[in-house]
Parts: sequence; C-alpha cells; structure tokens
Amino acid sequence: MVYIASWDDFLEKSVQLFRSDPEKTRYSMKYRHCDGKLVLKVTDDKECIKFKTDQAQDAKKMEKFNNIFFTLMARGPEADISEVGGKEQAEAQPVKKGRGRKQ
Amino acid sequence: MKIKLKEGFGNSALFFHKQSALLNSHTQYTEMVRLQPDPFLNELTNMFERTTEKGSVWVTLKHSSDKSKVKINKMKTAGEKIEYKCLVRATDGKKTISTMVGQKDHSRFQSSYATILKTRMTALKKRERKDRRKTADSDKKQEPKKPSSAAKPSN
Repeated sequence: MVYIASWDDFLEKSVQLFRSDPEKTRYSMKYRHCDGKLVLKVTDDKECIKFKTDQAQDAKKMEKFNNIFFTLMARGPEADISEVGGKEQAEAQPVKKGRGRKQ
Repeated sequence: MKIKLKEGFGNSALFFHKQSALLNSHTQYTEMVRLQPDPFLNELTNMFERTTEKGSVWVTLKHSSDKSKVKINKMKTAGEKIEYKCLVRATDGKKTISTMVGQKDHSRFQSSYATILKTRMTALKKRERKDRRKTADSDKKQEPKKPSSAAKPSN
C-alpha cells in the first residue's frame, strides 16, 4: 500500500489510474469517527495508492475529489472535469485564442 | 440448522454437514442490499450515526454497468451502447448497502452525499497552529488592557 503525502499528487495519480482502466479502478473511503481518521484508497487491482489524514481541511479537499470521481464514473472516463474544478487538464484542448476577424 | 440424515449414512455425513454449517456461519457475509439513491443516502446517514462511538464506515465508488461480462461482450459485438453508472457501496463492516447512480441524478446525489459527509465527519482535527498564534497574539493584546481596566479606584 503506497501512502502518498501530497494531496495534489494523489489526486493526479488517481485520475490517471481511472482513465487508464475505468473498468477496474475503484475509489474507497474509510472513516472512523472514534479515531478521527480518514483514509482514501484508489486501486485498479494492479496498483494501489492511499491517502490518510486526520485534518478537517482535507475533508474539504476530499469533497472536491468526490465530485471529480462521481462525474468521471457516472459520465464516463472521457468526462470533462475542469468544470468541477479538477486539476486534470493534460487532455484539455487548447483554447482558441482571439476573436479577431479571419482574413 | 436442521439436517436430515438418511439412516445408514453414519457419522461421516453428520460430520460433513456440521463442518459446512460451521463454515457457513463463520464466513457468512451479509447480503449486499441494493437500494435506490435516496434510501441509500438515508441508510448511509444511519450508518454514520451508529459508528460514532466505535467502528468505521467504508464508502466505495466504482464505474460500472451493472451487467455481467458475458452480456457486455454480447452487447459490444452487437454494437449496442452500454450504459454506465456509478456504483456506490457503503458498509460498516456488518451491513452493506449499494446503489447505482446514473448520469442524470449524479449531481443531486453528489451534493446530498457531500452534505452528509460534512455533517458527519466532525471528528477530524481542525488546524490549530494558526489559531494558536492568533489567540496568543490576542492574549498579549488583552493583557496590558486588563490591568488598566481592572485599575482599582482609589479613594
């Protein structure tokens, strides 16, 4: 089990994992109120990455993470998550610049 | 568990039945209960409530079509489009519930789910360092004020 320290890294790798194998990738969350601990796990049964925390601020980050994954999983791996505020923009098409007249 | 034994089978059959009964009771997994999204959310809230003092809640999200692999292959060869949904499972270690969230209701489900988490995940630590510094500063400010405000009126 690989615990990743950086939230951004964890997020990026999770989205990558999902996009590389949407059939098998799953995202798991475990919350223990008595210990005040939260663990996130993303795996495609070949690789596994985890993130653990006891900080309330990470719960907010996890909320965004949930939004991203709900969108990806409900709509499909090709879903655009930039509107969700996701950080996966590697596949984003280049924005057409300028509204100038074409000559 | 009542086991019917035919006469003449002897002890070996009884032993076998008992063993399988034991195995079943030890490895008995609770059934996965498939619910509609809204009842699922209600049950999830209950789960969080039950595990406040002890225990964990696991929630798993997975991209799924809810169809068997055989059917998926058939549909692919027939050129049919497979409808995918988001499978959400939740368990407290004893009871498991699940639901399928489609594209249409996913944003509504997502916001309800987020609300449940926000309400329930209150045990996490809040950032104390900055707060401590702030209170330390404010304490320092208050201290010189206090003796002045508590100045004894002298007659």
